[in-house]
Amino acid sequence: MIALSVAAVLAVFLLYTSLAGGGTPSVSPSELATKTGEVALAGRVVGTPTGDPHGAGMRFVLVDIHQPGHRVTVLYTGSVPDMFRRGRDLVVTGTQRADGVFVSKPGTMITKCPSKYQAADTPA
Amino acid sequence: MAEFGRAALLLTFGLAAYALVGGGYAAWRGRRRLAHSARNALIASFFSTLVAALVLVAGFLRDDFSLAYVAGHSSRALPTPYKLSAFWGGQEGSLLLWLLVLTGYSALAVWLARKRARDLVVWVTPVLAGIALGFTWLLVAVSSPFDVIAAPADGSGLNPSLQNPYMVVHPVALYLGYVGLAVPFAFAMGALLSGRTDERWIVATRRWTIVAWTALGIGQLLGAHWAYVEVGWGGYYAWDPVENAALMPWLAATAFLHSVMIQEKRGMLRVWNVTLVSLAFCLSLFGTFLTRSGVVTSIHSFTKSSIGPWFLGFIVVAVVFAVGMIWLRLPQLRTTAKLESLVSREAAFLYNNLLLVALCLTILWGTAWPMVSEAVRGETMVVGRPYFDFFLRIFGLPLLLLMGIGPLVAWRRASLRGLTRTFAWPAAVALATGVVLIALGAGSSTPGLVAYTFSAFVLATIVHEFARGTSARRALTGEPVPTAFGRLIGRNRRRYGGYVVHASIVLLAIGIAGSSAYDSVTEGRLTRGQSLSVGGYTLTYRSLGEREAANATEVRALLDVRRGGKDLGTIQAGKNAYSVEQQVSNEVGIRTDYLTGEDLFVIAEQVDDNGAVFFRIFVKPLVNLIWLAGLVFLLGSVITLWPDAREERRLATREARAGARSDTPATT
Amino acid sequence: MSLWILLAAALAVAIVVVVALPFLREPAPVSDTLHELDPAERRLLEAEEARDRALAALQELEADHRAKRISDEDYRAVVGSLRRDAAEALRALDRLGRGGTSDAEAKID
Repeated sequence: MIALSVAAVLAVFLLYTSLAGGGTPSVSPSELATKTGEVALAGRVVGTPTGDPHGAGMRFVLVDIHQPGHRVTVLYTGSVPDMFRRGRDLVVTGTQRADGVFVSKPGTMITKCPSKYQAADTPA
Repeated sequence: MAEFGRAALLLTFGLAAYALVGGGYAAWRGRRRLAHSARNALIASFFSTLVAALVLVAGFLRDDFSLAYVAGHSSRALPTPYKLSAFWGGQEGSLLLWLLVLTGYSALAVWLARKRARDLVVWVTPVLAGIALGFTWLLVAVSSPFDVIAAPADGSGLNPSLQNPYMVVHPVALYLGYVGLAVPFAFAMGALLSGRTDERWIVATRRWTIVAWTALGIGQLLGAHWAYVEVGWGGYYAWDPVENAALMPWLAATAFLHSVMIQEKRGMLRVWNVTLVSLAFCLSLFGTFLTRSGVVTSIHSFTKSSIGPWFLGFIVVAVVFAVGMIWLRLPQLRTTAKLESLVSREAAFLYNNLLLVALCLTILWGTAWPMVSEAVRGETMVVGRPYFDFFLRIFGLPLLLLMGIGPLVAWRRASLRGLTRTFAWPAAVALATGVVLIALGAGSSTPGLVAYTFSAFVLATIVHEFARGTSARRALTGEPVPTAFGRLIGRNRRRYGGYVVHASIVLLAIGIAGSSAYDSVTEGRLTRGQSLSVGGYTLTYRSLGEREAANATEVRALLDVRRGGKDLGTIQAGKNAYSVEQQVSNEVGIRTDYLTGEDLFVIAEQVDDNGAVFFRIFVKPLVNLIWLAGLVFLLGSVITLWPDAREERRLATREARAGARSDTPATT
Repeated sequence: MSLWILLAAALAVAIVVVVALPFLREPAPVSDTLHELDPAERRLLEAEEARDRALAALQELEADHRAKRISDEDYRAVVGSLRRDAAEALRALDRLGRGGTSDAEAKID
């Protein structure tokens, strides 16, 4: 009987994941060129953000967290988490436009809690 | 002073090693004095860890910035309570807290059980010592809180989002829960190691499990409340890996709490129980690992973290050990007792277990998926809310219903006729509630409506149980209602405490359903005098103010609130800018309607230079039931835990008669 | 500085004493063997556990029946087998040399 239930659970699970597509790929700015469609872009904020996230959109630049090199300009609309600032790591979901600008889905920015459990590496 | 702290931890290391090796040898070879000595060592390890902890506390209170950890998490301007909570604000300190709670629990567990379960304790000691050894190793060799630097003039300060009362209590409560699961695990392993595969390890650890489970539950609610009022994004649970890290062991522990009742009553499910408690403990290690190493957000940060690989190693060791012991003792664990009917309380508990474990495993899969997909497919896939919400509904709603059915079904086998009679009245109440709710507009969300209807059913059964029990008691004793009610609960603490806990879960379900399925939101940019309307409320932006506080600049927008033409006062929302930490935090405005449990939730997302503010406003019905549920949960747990003198006497007599003599030498 | 070294040393000494205590108290004991339950004692304990379980199940059934949680027919269907289990548990204890008390037997009747 237990085996049956386990099988039932597995069936529900597999059904769902096959329908839902199993998640969104998480990429870094350097990997962005290789992907099409909706992705979760993970990177570090450099430079100063401009624009209004609740108006035409906020523009800022993301680089790879571990090898700063490739830069991507992000156009973001929606709520901006408190942690957002230059030097912070974040993830934003969206698609890359033809002109190279990464346009986000509104409100999909997530910042990582910095220095909460590791020694502060970015000076204040 | 740092050297003293380091020395204390080295002593803990030595004690844990001794308790592990010596205790293990003593248990294997049956050496009485060595076993006693190992037990002393385990108890002493608490005191040496306490010394180390006190050294760190002194470092914070004295602003001793020569300690790198203090410099990294505190500052002169930090209020004293937060200087204390900064102890667990970083990796090294939280590991020390883990160890402190572990050694404390271990000392208490082996001390309390030393007479009652002697042949278990000799094996429990080395198991607990082994776990302590692992954490002490990390603290001594990998991630020490006593690293010394050239003292800067002032520290870096504590992350502002940690500077509130919730973050003082929440981590401690969670740790009391996570670490508490080590005790039933150790007793289970002790039972397997000693070959005593009967129910004694369960009886010995019943209260430990409930305490750990309650602490973990309250810790999570505190975390959710913190997210709601402090982080202020408009919700209380985001299915973040760190949140799931605490939920998974809690779900496994809930399943375990129920299935041990089957073992106590029918002697069944022995293999399942040891497996479940091992799962709960390993998940709690995994949960600590997730929150420490940031592994899930990116596999790259995993290799950067110093303790990630070590933690993974511990989990592997624990899993291999548990599986190995269960495999070894499989013949002794098997019983002849069988499930007699698919419609019985045993079966209901079994369904409960299956649903809880299924939910737990799907959350585990979703949380670990980024790591797995990276390793297998080379690309990191992240899973979003819809995945978790879907499975919460699929497994959670039947669980809700089962809470009402389980306690009322007979053991062994129940007839369908008996069932229809028992459930007729609560089912009628549920259906009536459903109809009324549809008329009130709740049909807009099917899961919400189902949750409400099931909740009505469960509440009806609980009320019915209390009423029936009280009147049965009165029929026997003729007591007045309050006395009968009180004595009813007093004589059956486990049953009625359990009902109170179930009621709290129902309240939780109603609160969650109301605030997520039936909430409203609006947003917009307002200049002074402009208004926004949502959920029946109208808010008008009046003014903007700025204030200097102890360590922050506070900006607040003031709004008037009206509903249905009535003036409801004002509400403020804004931001705090922290000078030392160079960070801005959201300060939301919440207006609670205590009559309806509804919250008006205002976020000042952005303050423009010209004084215009972009607001995001929520109306969350019934959300305060969630916090109320926490209080009821605590009450129910306390009732279940309350010692029962008669039960204690009975167990003690049984132990004495079976010939468990004292530690003095046997006369042979 | 030297204060801390003194404290550390004191702590270490205290710990060593605590750990060595069992050996210091009994340098030459009659027996150093850990008392473990021998098979007979183990059987007795398990028999007592079985008896307690059976009696508790019976009591719970009675309580449920009185509180009308269980219908008369459900009660009648189960009470027979529970009584048999309890009687068997008591008989097993009898065989091992410890009888059930008279009021335990009365509970079955």
